[in-house]
Amino acid sequence: MTKQTKATKSADNTTRWLVIGMVALVVITGVIFSLISSNTKANESFTALKGYSLGEPVSATVDPAQGSGLVVNPGAPVKIDLWEDPQCPICRVFEEANGAYIDDLVRTKKATVVYHVLSFLGDESVRAANAAMCAADEGHYLDFHKAMYIVQPALENSGFFTGPNLIKIGDYIGIKSASFKDCVTKGSKAQLVQAQENAMSKYKVTGTPTVFINDKLWVRKSSSFDLAEFRLAVEAG
Amino acid sequence: MRKLNAKYQKLITLIARLTVGGVLLVAGALKAFVPAEAASAVAAYKILPVKIAHIFGYGLPWLEIAIGLLLIAGLSIRLAGVVAGTVMVLFIGAIISVWARGILIDCGCFGGGGAIDPSKAAQVHRTYALEIARDAGLALLTLYLYFFPYGFLSFEKSAEPTKEN
Repeated sequence: MTKQTKATKSADNTTRWLVIGMVALVVITGVIFSLISSNTKANESFTALKGYSLGEPVSATVDPAQGSGLVVNPGAPVKIDLWEDPQCPICRVFEEANGAYIDDLVRTKKATVVYHVLSFLGDESVRAANAAMCAADEGHYLDFHKAMYIVQPALENSGFFTGPNLIKIGDYIGIKSASFKDCVTKGSKAQLVQAQENAMSKYKVTGTPTVFINDKLWVRKSSSFDLAEFRLAVEAG
Repeated sequence: MRKLNAKYQKLITLIARLTVGGVLLVAGALKAFVPAEAASAVAAYKILPVKIAHIFGYGLPWLEIAIGLLLIAGLSIRLAGVVAGTVMVLFIGAIISVWARGILIDCGCFGGGGAIDPSKAAQVHRTYALEIARDAGLALLTLYLYFFPYGFLSFEKSAEPTKEN
């Protein structure tokens, strides 16, 4: 095939480099704009925690017999097992719908809740899960867990769940002890986080959020999470 | 065939430019202002490391917009066409890659993206095939533009009179 040739040959090279330069400029500007906008979003998310009032401490214990889950209120008539990853966006949707109800069940001791904090979505989940377990030592797992989903970034592994940011979450909601900070920085709960993650296969959990009510897998019927539906399922046992 | 091409080349070139340019412009514009979504759509292919995938997701929509505008306006058509064609081949490769690895995702081509429920596997596979066909078609158009970049409504003009083609 014969190729067409251009009218102004001499200006060809200049134009070409000009075009390449312009395209590069547009792309670089776009990337910078996007980076800045997602950074601002991350910082803005902290303001959502302003004025958070820390709940009463709730004692929780790790039970190796239950997949190393964090058990609150053992012996209550209903048992709920929650398998969640701090970075999982659908878990946030679940928490937005049912989190307050579950917190209430825990605080009024109406249900035993076993929290399994998974970390299969990457390093940042591992760090966040570690921090959540650190908060559990302070008696504030519930608060930290709630706060984590309030600030959860839209992007997984976007560089948000870092040690300093996790400590900042604690600061905002009122977990300020040195032991918590130390535990987050050192990753002291690494083994526990790993153990919870490893329990997935034993309980045949393949995704998050997975919920068991009295050891029976709960399958939602509505297209999104509906509080009324969940409440009914819990009350039915 | 050659005669037919000579007769309609300027029109075919215009149509090719507007089709490829239009698709790229729309695809880019739909994604450029939802950077977080675009970034996780690229990450969902699980080809690049997450951090690099995010940067790629931030930049790709803008590249599409720039190339789309060049093609529509008729500037540096050959160069823009080559870039557009390369991008299409990369898209095809990426879709084949997720298909082969059994990953079910929304391609995120025009915004959206991310994992899809395993229950919709058959439907997703059909979508993959259609997407590959679409991108292959667009790639062929860019190939045509490589050989015949100059047509109607273009800033750049050909040196030769049309009849010589």
